[in-house]
Amino acid sequence: MADHTLEARDVRLGYGEREIVPGLSVAVPPGRITVIVGPNACGKSTLLRAMARLLTPSAGAVLLNGRSIQEMPTKDVAAVLGILPQSPTAPEGITVSDLVGRGRYPHQGWFRRWSAEDDEAVARALLSTDVLELADRSVDELSGGQRQRVWIAMALAQRTDILLLDEPTTFLDASHQLDVLDLLTDLNRDHGVTMVAVLHDLNLACRYADHMIAMKAGRIVAEGRPVDIVTEELVGEVFGMRCSVIEDPASATPMVVPLGRHHVKGPPA
Amino acid sequence: MSRETVVAEDAANADQARLADAVRQVSAVRGRSLRRSVLVGAALLAAVIVMFGVSLSFGDMVMPIGKVVATLFGGGDGGSQFVVLELRLPRALLAILVGAGFGLSGAVFQTVLRNPLASPDLIGISAGASAVAVTAALLFQVSGLALSASALTGSLVAGAAIYLLAWRQGIVGQRLVLVGIGVGMGLSSIVWYVMARSEVTDAQEAFRWLAGSLNGRSWGQVWPLLIALGVLVPLTVLAAHALRPLQLGDDAAAGLGAKVEGGRLALLGCATALAGVATAAAGPVGFVAFVAAPIARRLVPGRGAALPQAALTGALLVLVADFAAQHALPSVQLPVGVVTSIIGAPYLLLLLARANRVGSGG
Repeated sequence: MADHTLEARDVRLGYGEREIVPGLSVAVPPGRITVIVGPNACGKSTLLRAMARLLTPSAGAVLLNGRSIQEMPTKDVAAVLGILPQSPTAPEGITVSDLVGRGRYPHQGWFRRWSAEDDEAVARALLSTDVLELADRSVDELSGGQRQRVWIAMALAQRTDILLLDEPTTFLDASHQLDVLDLLTDLNRDHGVTMVAVLHDLNLACRYADHMIAMKAGRIVAEGRPVDIVTEELVGEVFGMRCSVIEDPASATPMVVPLGRHHVKGPPA
Repeated sequence: MSRETVVAEDAANADQARLADAVRQVSAVRGRSLRRSVLVGAALLAAVIVMFGVSLSFGDMVMPIGKVVATLFGGGDGGSQFVVLELRLPRALLAILVGAGFGLSGAVFQTVLRNPLASPDLIGISAGASAVAVTAALLFQVSGLALSASALTGSLVAGAAIYLLAWRQGIVGQRLVLVGIGVGMGLSSIVWYVMARSEVTDAQEAFRWLAGSLNGRSWGQVWPLLIALGVLVPLTVLAAHALRPLQLGDDAAAGLGAKVEGGRLALLGCATALAGVATAAAGPVGFVAFVAAPIARRLVPGRGAALPQAALTGALLVLVADFAAQHALPSVQLPVGVVTSIIGAPYLLLLLARANRVGSGG
């Protein structure tokens, strides 16, 4: 699979008068899983939306394969880069296979509507997200975990080399969070899909990220392999939280143990 | 061949078989859904044709269907030719065209704005047509084709005004619906002001138009509407290409490479014009645009917008309603809009009650 490059160069981002990211540059490592972390309202979703051309930077540019993403035909971008927005809502009554089939939109024209290739892409997407047996069910009837897998299937049916995901595990219980992150890792390892995800859970982020970007107040505080960058100082600076960082016994990645004012052993620090 | 390669090949073959099976399953699900959609469309079309035949043969003078068909193809005597070709045919055709126009318009509005309350008769498009048409008729004595033109102008101006007022770096369905209801109320007050100022007999004429009526309609209303729909329906079909991604919400649609604002504007423009030309021909026939699409979506669940079925449902609805309006009461011909409102109002209440319960606000 061709490795496409995606980078933001000196982008300033905001909504109307309110500036959220005051100038930032970042390059997404191709073929890897990148996870963006940071406190609420730090601009991580804003950055992801800009990288997906859902938000136009007021200065600077997002470059896909060296070309400004805003100047490329939007359907050409959609053939390379997919986005799963934060908590998307399905139209009432839509079936799973119909929803997933809509991921084929960028590959269809005004007259070339549906082909065997589309059927195959949908079938593969349903298989790899393990929702094939739900194909003719209505999305309304599904559980939160199933629904999220169906949306990921929709993004997969788009068959893009880069996939951006805005908080794909929000509102899921612990086991479904693991399911979704395992699924993303499978797709990355088996098909070389470049992933960029915004995640809330620091420990899952440390475990699943090849590359981590820590943001605060619209700026990147640190980026690199979690094992290289996640320290007590970094967590303190980014999240304003005391913690101790130990080795995750399962994955040997950093594990953040938060320290509040209560329920902490030993003399107060 | 080593054992490992055999095992690997077996695994690859198993994967291939699993994929082939999945592809079969996916195409079977799609086929079933498509068959149902075609079947429902055909059934609706058949019902429209039957009701069309009934409308042509029933009246003060009941005519056997054989004679109706013969008359349609140039046979029959002078009397039957006058009754069928001049009185009943234009009225029945107009009912079909008006219903299809409203049905299609409502379906597009509701799916684009992702809100079942977003239909042109509730969000001020029809009120715009009424305000301009009534003002033109009562203050400037405009009638005939010019009156239709002023109704169309009114709906387009109201549509544009609502779109601009609701615009805040994009369009949100909920906000557009609220702005539309507000604009609609303002426009209705203009209608009542003009009515209150005018002569009772003139006002009564305007009132009949406002209720939405096919009484006394002739070929003079059929041809302009037929031509307008001949242009607008193909445009709507073209614009509807963007409807599939747009239904998933703005971000998902943009991610799929749809032109969100442009696509939505084109669709809303077509839908406003459709409601406008239908209103111009028959007045604001209440609730047809509002209920046609939900009925159609219920008949073909899980297929998104169901535009052709919504248009056919609208046509059937107006045909049946107009038939009832003509023959329900022995001495009076009701305006068709009265009958459609009797069907539509309970549905609106049901929808509001349900929306309150699930907390979706429509």
